[in-house]
Parts: sequence; C-alpha cells; structure tokens
Amino acid sequence: MIKQLSIFIQNEVGSVASITAVLKKHNINLRAIATFDTPQFAILRMIVDQPEKAKTLLIESGFAVTMSDAIAVELEDKPGVLHDVLQLIADAGIGINYIYSIVFRQKNVPLIIINTDNLDKTKQILIEKGYSVPDQEDVYL
Amino acid sequence: MIWNESKECMSRDELHNLQSARLKKTVNHVYHNVEFYRKKMQQMGLEPGDINGIEDLHKLPFTTKDDLRDNYPFGLFAVPQSQVVRIHASSGTTGKATVVGYTRRDIEIWQECVTRVLAMAGIGPNDKIQVAYGYGLFTGGLGLHYGAENLGATVVPMSTGNTQRLITMMEDFEVTAIACTPSYLLHIIEVLEEAGKIDRVKLKAAICGAEPWTENMRKEIESKLGLNAYDIYGLSEILGPGVAADCDVHNGLHVYEDHFLPEIVNPDTLEPCKEGETGELVITTLTKEALPLLRYRTKDLTSISYDPCPCGRTMARISKFKGRSDDMLIIRGVNVFPSQVEAALLEMGETSPHYIMIVDRVNNLDVLEVQVEVEERFFSDEIKELEKLNKKISSVLQSALGLSVKVTLVEPKTIARSEGKAKRVIDKRKLI
Repeated sequence: MIKQLSIFIQNEVGSVASITAVLKKHNINLRAIATFDTPQFAILRMIVDQPEKAKTLLIESGFAVTMSDAIAVELEDKPGVLHDVLQLIADAGIGINYIYSIVFRQKNVPLIIINTDNLDKTKQILIEKGYSVPDQEDVYL
Repeated sequence: MIWNESKECMSRDELHNLQSARLKKTVNHVYHNVEFYRKKMQQMGLEPGDINGIEDLHKLPFTTKDDLRDNYPFGLFAVPQSQVVRIHASSGTTGKATVVGYTRRDIEIWQECVTRVLAMAGIGPNDKIQVAYGYGLFTGGLGLHYGAENLGATVVPMSTGNTQRLITMMEDFEVTAIACTPSYLLHIIEVLEEAGKIDRVKLKAAICGAEPWTENMRKEIESKLGLNAYDIYGLSEILGPGVAADCDVHNGLHVYEDHFLPEIVNPDTLEPCKEGETGELVITTLTKEALPLLRYRTKDLTSISYDPCPCGRTMARISKFKGRSDDMLIIRGVNVFPSQVEAALLEMGETSPHYIMIVDRVNNLDVLEVQVEVEERFFSDEIKELEKLNKKISSVLQSALGLSVKVTLVEPKTIARSEGKAKRVIDKRKLI
C-alpha cells in the first residue's frame, strides 16, 4: 500500500497552483497527481515523497487534507495489461473508486494507482496473480 | 371604493378617542391575562390605570420577536385555548417558530382589514381573484383568501408552485385580480410572455406584498399587465397581511389605525422620531384578543405622515419600506435570519459553522446560495461522500428555512473572518 493525500479544492482558476506552491516552497517532490472534479469542487489526489510533512504544511496553509491508502501496481508496457488487472478486480466483485498513474518511475514500467472498495482484498488477488504491488518506499524513491 | 368609510375616513379627533379607549382596554386585557406583560409593567411600576390614552403610550414596555420566542408557543396568548380558532406560524430566528393565534373576532377583524385593502384596489364582487400566496402556516394565503371572500369576490385559491396551471386558469377563468409577492408576479409575467398569452390577460389589479419592492417594479408590473398594482403590508405577529396598504395615490401605505397604533422610533435610542423622519415601525394592537401586543418592534424602517390623503382616507400613511433594523432577509416572501443557517449547521455538526449566504434574483425569482467551508475533520477522500454531505446540508437548511437552498462547498478559511460581527450575507438583488 502507499499513502496518498487528498485535498479538497474549489473548481476555480488557480486552485491547484495554490497547492503546488506550498509543495514547491518546501521542496516536496510529487510522484503522482490527479484531479477528480465535479462542477463545483474537486478533489486533488497526489503521492509525494514526504506525505506527513506535506499534509501538515497544507493544513497549515488552510486546506482540507486527508491521508489514505491506495494500491500501486506495476504493469508491463503493452496493450491490454490494464484491462487484465481491472477484469481481475471486477471478477472479485470489487468496485473501483478511481485510477490514476504515476508521474515518475525508476523502473521502466508503468505504475498505476488504484483505489477500490476493498484495498486489502485487491492487493491480495493482484499478488496472487503475480503482479508487483510496490509499497510506499518503492514508490517514493 | 372605500369599504368602511365611517372608519377609514373618520376625523383624527374621533380616531384619537377611539384609539385611546381601545388602548386602555388592551392594556387592561394584557395586564390581567398575560403574565409576561403583568410582570413587565409591575417591574416598571406601571398599572393599567396609569394609561389614560394614547398620550401615555410611551410609558408602556416594548415587545420583541425574542419575547415571542421566549414564550414559545402560547405564553403570550391572552385568551384560553378554547377561544383560539386559528394558529399561524413563521420560522423563527434560531429554529423555533414564531407562533400566533386568533380568536373568531380576530379573524373577523383580519378579514375586514384585507377587505378594505382589496376594495381600495378597486376589487369587488364581480371580480375573480387568484390568491397565489402560500396557503398554510404562512399568513399570506389564508389572509387574502378570507378578505376576498368577505368582499364577495370569487376566490381562486392557487397557492404557490404551479405557474403553468396558474396562467392557464388566469386565461380560462378570465381572472381580474391577483394577490402574490411582487417578484412572483414578475415571474408570472415572464411565463405569460413566453407562452404568448400576455395580451389575453384580463387582470385589472394586483395586490403585492410580503417582501419589499420598488416603485420601478410597480411600474413594470403595471405596464406589462395593464393593471394597477398595490402594496400590502403586514406581519404575522400583528395580524398577517392587511396592517397597511396603499391607495390609488400610491404615496405611502394607509395604516388601519383603528386596529393598529403605529409609532416610529429611533431603533438605537428607542426615542420617538418626528413625523417624516425614518425610524423603526412599532405597532400596538388595539383590538386583538388572542395575541395582543404592546409596542411591538417590527424592525421595518419607514417614516409616517399624518397629512390628509387625496383619496379621502384619514388614516396615517407609512412610506415604502427603507430596510430593516436587523439582519432579516426576505427571500421569496419567506423571512430568513442568518442565525437560522448557523443554528442548523451547528446542530447538524458535520461541517464548519463558517458560511456565507448569497441572495440573487434569477429570472425574477429569488435564489439563495449558502457557501459552507469544508472542514478538515469532516473532509472525506471521496467525491460521493462530499456530494452526500452537500445534499444533506441542503436538505437540513431547506427544512430549517422553509426554502430551497443551493449549497456550495468551499475550501477551509476562504470565507472572510471579520473582526466583530461577521459578514454573513451578500444580497445581489437589485430592487430597481
């Protein structure tokens, strides 16, 4: 499992930049970032190298932030591999809340971030099928 | 026409005597039947015998909406429940409703006052009137209804909410008069225009009230519908609609002084204002049995004139309202206090109590948006949870205010914290 930060933002010009400004100022490195929007507001999700510190700083800067778990899965870079993972999760009767992908990776393989209704079970079935599910340390490197 | 010439046109001297006699009776009534007033007067060293006429009015204690709330629900009623034939209620400032009651005689006087208003607007037994105020606990619907029936007009009790049906019946029944809020009438005009029916309307009079409106709004309504529009004023604590209304001269609203004794006071010092000077309207009921009130502070800002009116009525006129001395908003005819929003949010406990209310008028209908800060501890990672929260806040506010509310979640600490009294309301409505 890896730690991700979720931040509530209004759907307005400059909202995301006001968050990245805080990260830049404190030299926090982003590994993944994605926004999920509704007409009114959005949730910005991100994975950073220092999640606890980033959370504290962002809260101090006036944002609503929560830290939660997500699963990272390494995939081969070829057509259909993401489908195989998703089918596996679907067959297990688990719902996916959202998916996004990593910005930076050390290995030359795509890394997908998945959040589901049941993280532990998802992780377990992925590992059973031979997928690499890196932990926090592996991603933040 | 003048419905009750012997009263509406009585000489000021006669009126003075009538008011004095009725005031003495009212003071006696509350002293002996309402503990709240008896205690208040005793604390002030005042006995009913000290009040010999309206010259002594200033000696009497004031009454506020808080007093009604503190004595919720029936503490200020001056008659046994068996004599109360009707209850109305409006939403209170912090959740508790303001409850008012009427004896059969009170209802008769109420309908007499509304009948005077309708007759003043030229409405009679040959007219068909659509009453498009809400029916129910709100005094607007039933108040106009009873007055119009008393006049002998044919009442179409529309209530609010279905504008298409309203305009269909307006055309099919050849309706000649309508009673509703002025902003709703502007909306009806738009719907009529869209349906291409505006020229087929036979309306000759509109009785509009329950919210402030301007002379320009009146002119727009009159020119688009080819009718005369009249302003009716009232508040449930005193009566409901029918406390005052304007005549053909449209230079102020005649107060039915034989039933309601008006004063204008400085809202800060509570000292009387001079004639023509703007202050808070204070009303003492002179004939109410179930809920007589002494010097009730309406919080409505206006001025008064005792000059003779060209229409022949001798009753004093209050000017169009110039605002409120408190923070009450009137949205779609519904009285709303920011404290109601705050109380509802705090009670719900799933959001921060930091909010701002934005009132706007879209297509001539008032809309209320409430922006609420998402607080750290209530923030969930999931959009569906936030949307659930949004829906919950809006349904909590809707039931607290009796008004549909658009809720917008905003980032923490984005709503300005001001020193002292927070700015909670942005009213973008332009009453031009």
